[in-house]
Amino acid sequence: MTRPAAAVAWALWALWSLSACAPPDSGSARANLQVGSALAARQELVRAVDAGGMRSLDPSISTDIPAERVLDDIFEGLTRLDQSGQPAPGLATHWETSSDGRTWTFHLRSANWSNGEPIRAADFVYAWRRTVDPRTASDYGQALAAVRNAIDINEGRAAPATLGIEAPDEHTVVVRLNAPTPYLLSLMSKAYTYPQYAPVIRAYGDDWTSPAHIVGNGAFLLRERVIGGRVALTKNPRYWDAAQVRLQKVVYLPLDRAVQTDRFFAGELAFTDSFSAEQTAWLRSRLGDQVVSAPYLGNFVLGVNALLPPFAGNRPLRLALSMALDRETLVRYVRQGLYQPAWTPTPPLPGYQAPVPAWAALPEAQRHALARHYYQQAGYSAQHPLRVELYYPTDTDNRRTYEAVAAMWRSNLGAEVSTYNEEFRVQINQRHLRKLPLFHYAWIGDYPDPYTFLQLFRTGFGYNDGGYSNPRYDVLLARADEESDAARRLALLAEAETLLNDDAACIPIYYYASRHLIKSYVRGWTSNIQDRNLSQYLYLLEHQGN
Amino acid sequence: MPRYVLRRLLSAIPTLLLIATLAFALLHLTPGGPFDSERSLVPQIQHAIEARYHLDEPVWRQYLRYLSDLARGDLGPSFQYRDTSVNQIIALGLPIDLAVGGCAIGFALLVGGAIGLLAASRPGTCRDRVPMTLSMLGMSVPTFVVAPLLILVFAMRLHWLPAGDWVGGSWRHLLLPALALALPYTAFIARLVRASALEVMGSAYIRTARAKGLGPMAVLLRHALRPTLMPLVSYLGPALAGVLTGSIVIEQVFGLPGIGRFFITGALNRDYTLVMGLTLLYGALIILCNLLVDLCYAWLDPRVRLAQ
Amino acid sequence: MSAAATMAGSWRQFWQRFNARRSTTVALWTLALIVAATLLVPVFSPYDYSTPAWTRIFTAPTWRGGQLFGTDALGRDLLVRVMWGCRISLLVGLVASLVSVVIGVLWGATAGYLGGRSDALLMRAVDVLYSVPFIPLVIVLNVLFGRHLLLVFAGIGAVSWLDIARIVRGQTLAIRNREYIDAARALGVRAPAMIRRHVIPNLLGIVIVYATLTVPAVILFEALLSFLGLGVQAPLASLGSLVAEGASEMQANPYLLIIPALLLSLIVLCLNHLGDRLRDALDPHEH
Repeated sequence: MTRPAAAVAWALWALWSLSACAPPDSGSARANLQVGSALAARQELVRAVDAGGMRSLDPSISTDIPAERVLDDIFEGLTRLDQSGQPAPGLATHWETSSDGRTWTFHLRSANWSNGEPIRAADFVYAWRRTVDPRTASDYGQALAAVRNAIDINEGRAAPATLGIEAPDEHTVVVRLNAPTPYLLSLMSKAYTYPQYAPVIRAYGDDWTSPAHIVGNGAFLLRERVIGGRVALTKNPRYWDAAQVRLQKVVYLPLDRAVQTDRFFAGELAFTDSFSAEQTAWLRSRLGDQVVSAPYLGNFVLGVNALLPPFAGNRPLRLALSMALDRETLVRYVRQGLYQPAWTPTPPLPGYQAPVPAWAALPEAQRHALARHYYQQAGYSAQHPLRVELYYPTDTDNRRTYEAVAAMWRSNLGAEVSTYNEEFRVQINQRHLRKLPLFHYAWIGDYPDPYTFLQLFRTGFGYNDGGYSNPRYDVLLARADEESDAARRLALLAEAETLLNDDAACIPIYYYASRHLIKSYVRGWTSNIQDRNLSQYLYLLEHQGN
Repeated sequence: MPRYVLRRLLSAIPTLLLIATLAFALLHLTPGGPFDSERSLVPQIQHAIEARYHLDEPVWRQYLRYLSDLARGDLGPSFQYRDTSVNQIIALGLPIDLAVGGCAIGFALLVGGAIGLLAASRPGTCRDRVPMTLSMLGMSVPTFVVAPLLILVFAMRLHWLPAGDWVGGSWRHLLLPALALALPYTAFIARLVRASALEVMGSAYIRTARAKGLGPMAVLLRHALRPTLMPLVSYLGPALAGVLTGSIVIEQVFGLPGIGRFFITGALNRDYTLVMGLTLLYGALIILCNLLVDLCYAWLDPRVRLAQ
Repeated sequence: MSAAATMAGSWRQFWQRFNARRSTTVALWTLALIVAATLLVPVFSPYDYSTPAWTRIFTAPTWRGGQLFGTDALGRDLLVRVMWGCRISLLVGLVASLVSVVIGVLWGATAGYLGGRSDALLMRAVDVLYSVPFIPLVIVLNVLFGRHLLLVFAGIGAVSWLDIARIVRGQTLAIRNREYIDAARALGVRAPAMIRRHVIPNLLGIVIVYATLTVPAVILFEALLSFLGLGVQAPLASLGSLVAEGASEMQANPYLLIIPALLLSLIVLCLNHLGDRLRDALDPHEH
């Protein structure tokens, strides 16, 4: 062999055997980090959030999760989430409900804005009217649908002043609802219900959220904000509960997922919002229980278009596809055990027993046989296989899952499902237009109640992209709306969900899980289903090393 | 010459107008709007948002409105970042890209040019083949591999430099991003300069110089340098414009709040005004850089006549 | 001598100059080997590029079972996937580069030769096309014409010719006033023939070098498009997108990055080396 050829061949062989060996150590193993038991002298936390967020810090307008984290720290509403993620008294010290459950009266404590001005009930009224006002053009304009007249105002049929919220005096807020709303307290901890300081908004318009102008009432003050970048907060001494806030400074950095992991290893971050599911085992071997994952209020579901062929009027086909998915396998190998398999749209919630279809408990071989039976009943076979397209928004996690799903359908049923990734906006657009036969249809819940997921299948709901329509389902949901007894209401919702499953209105795949890397010296956080950990509860222990 | 420059600058205006029109048309043709989201529950909200940003008007009227705003220097509000205007976003992000990009190009020119010249001075030897092979590798390994590797080595293992972020005025935060950005350009420039130098070295007048007894390096620097730089200068025009407006990969990996990432995220999020603003910025830079390049041609090669 | 014999003679001469060095032979053989592998391995391998194998995810390269490159996140054989990836990237790289070179050379040479208003017009068109944001363009093309692989080539070619046009125009400006051009003009050669017969051959050196430098850029551009969901559709992957996937696994499973990146570098190195030799063999000047 000639010399250059031999050299090349040798180099290639060397590299091949090198890469086959164990992966190199990242350089920051667990052994390096030593954590004490006293509080650290410097209480400064650097948190990573997912890139692409932080679009707006206006509580009425903001919709992304990174911004929500910042808003949770610089504002506070009637309720705030306690350390276990449950709504607890915030600006409201106590509240009463009327007997029919449609009127809530909240009593405010004495507290001040960050500029020293007292917080008044009128500030809540102003904020809520602003959120529903169509001129604000808020994406969450209908999130307050439970409040009387909110929908009418948002759709231009009534004036904002008619919204079902009043301030009879400076320390009382009265909320009038359309129906008993058991999840109202959770709603009151969401950003779009936070009070807002009107003079600053009137004076500065869109610019009111800049650090120079913004007036908040939360545990922290906004000190620095780079568009689409770093946000720095410092402790608010005027916060009513400032005594128990230990952190002095919080920095939020929007970063790409891989970069979050790298910086965590480098010791420049103490709390990430994500990590790659494929690396779970490797991360656990290096970081131990600094790798944190918990169930999250969201589902990962395949939407089915009920108006187009091949699924229109073809219940056996929908059932066949749903049955032929080996969800446990997907969770175990594609998501490395992080997510939970889903057989029904609603994730597990306290007090709610989500109905699971009977066939979910069947052993795999039987389930596959049943799936093939339905597949044939639907009119398909090996000679005449199903050919359909599946569309999902561009994302690595989605791609892995749907590649696996398509492969499963091919091997279990013989169906030929081709997967296409669409750029996010295009997929949403096509989906809303009901042009897609099978589509990615994940949904993050707004509050921990089944209704937030079940409303998607209500006839006429703006986001019912599958076009599913079942009058019996609608009736059950309407009855649940009017039901003031919590247990009976949940039973009605469970009945409705059973209908959905019988009809295979959609094909649930997983429930999401939150994913964090958290240094062992960060304490005060809990895993809760909404994955909100207010910085006011967090603190750092003294530590050495990385 | 000054008349030529003036003419070029004046003709830039219709060019920019054409760019703006094409970009505007393209953006509005792309399916999916800026406010298509999972949360826009009902048409009424959609309409309210669109009315606020004048997206419900007929396209030609939106176009005219945009142009009249543009004439006043107002690039409009950003649709993605609803608290800010495009002018603010660019004003805050551009200096960072200018700093990183400027350093990167400076490095690439100096180092790449030197390597290329050295290689051309002794073609076929180790001094030529080794750097050229390395530069080929430098070009085929993408930035999204090199940048994390640099961070791994210099920030995570050696702890010499920070892993990212931007602190104004700190050279330590500038170094790694500039280096990662510079490497492919350095490789490219090295190869281009070498090839061009070899071409020039084969010409008659160079042979005369050699025949006169001048050493290869002296020949290179005194006689061959100017014509050698011609293709380099051609390449630099758009390269400079690209480097100065930032690279999304560098900004993502190092967490730099520049404007490069907005070229991509703006388009993906249909932030019409931001994309238009960036497009115009980029177009203006290209035109400017090309003008500089053409002026350089005239200086480098006196046989070039720009105006006929 | 007959015309055929002259042709054969000059072809042999060209081949001798081209193949003068041993490294050229190595490069040619390596490339041939890679191309052969991309064609044959998927046919003969028991694994295919899209079927997951749950019990074998993330296995390192090994001799066992013939999975020389290991498996990826879904347990698919990396060897087969990389071969398919090579196929796609080679096609994209070569076809798109070829298209962009042809358009770019014609455009740039014409602009540089004609000069004046025509030059200004043609170059302004280049400036305008340069500035137009490419992502909306690719999205619109995707929507209008469907998701064919050919469209990916077309899109990439449509964007890459601009650089070459500019370089060629610059070189032409320099050549335009040389003696042989004057001589040909004095002989009455018209512009199109001038460009074809006198300008372009003298540009070949720089053009070939630039063309070979374009190939890796094109392959990586396709990787970016795939990343954004605008390129090759899953489960197919191009070499560039395999590298991108591997980059995110760099710390946990480095072989997922090293192997496709290595192959990419190898292909690019060979192509470049061959390009250099080609230029040397074709160049009218002797070095």
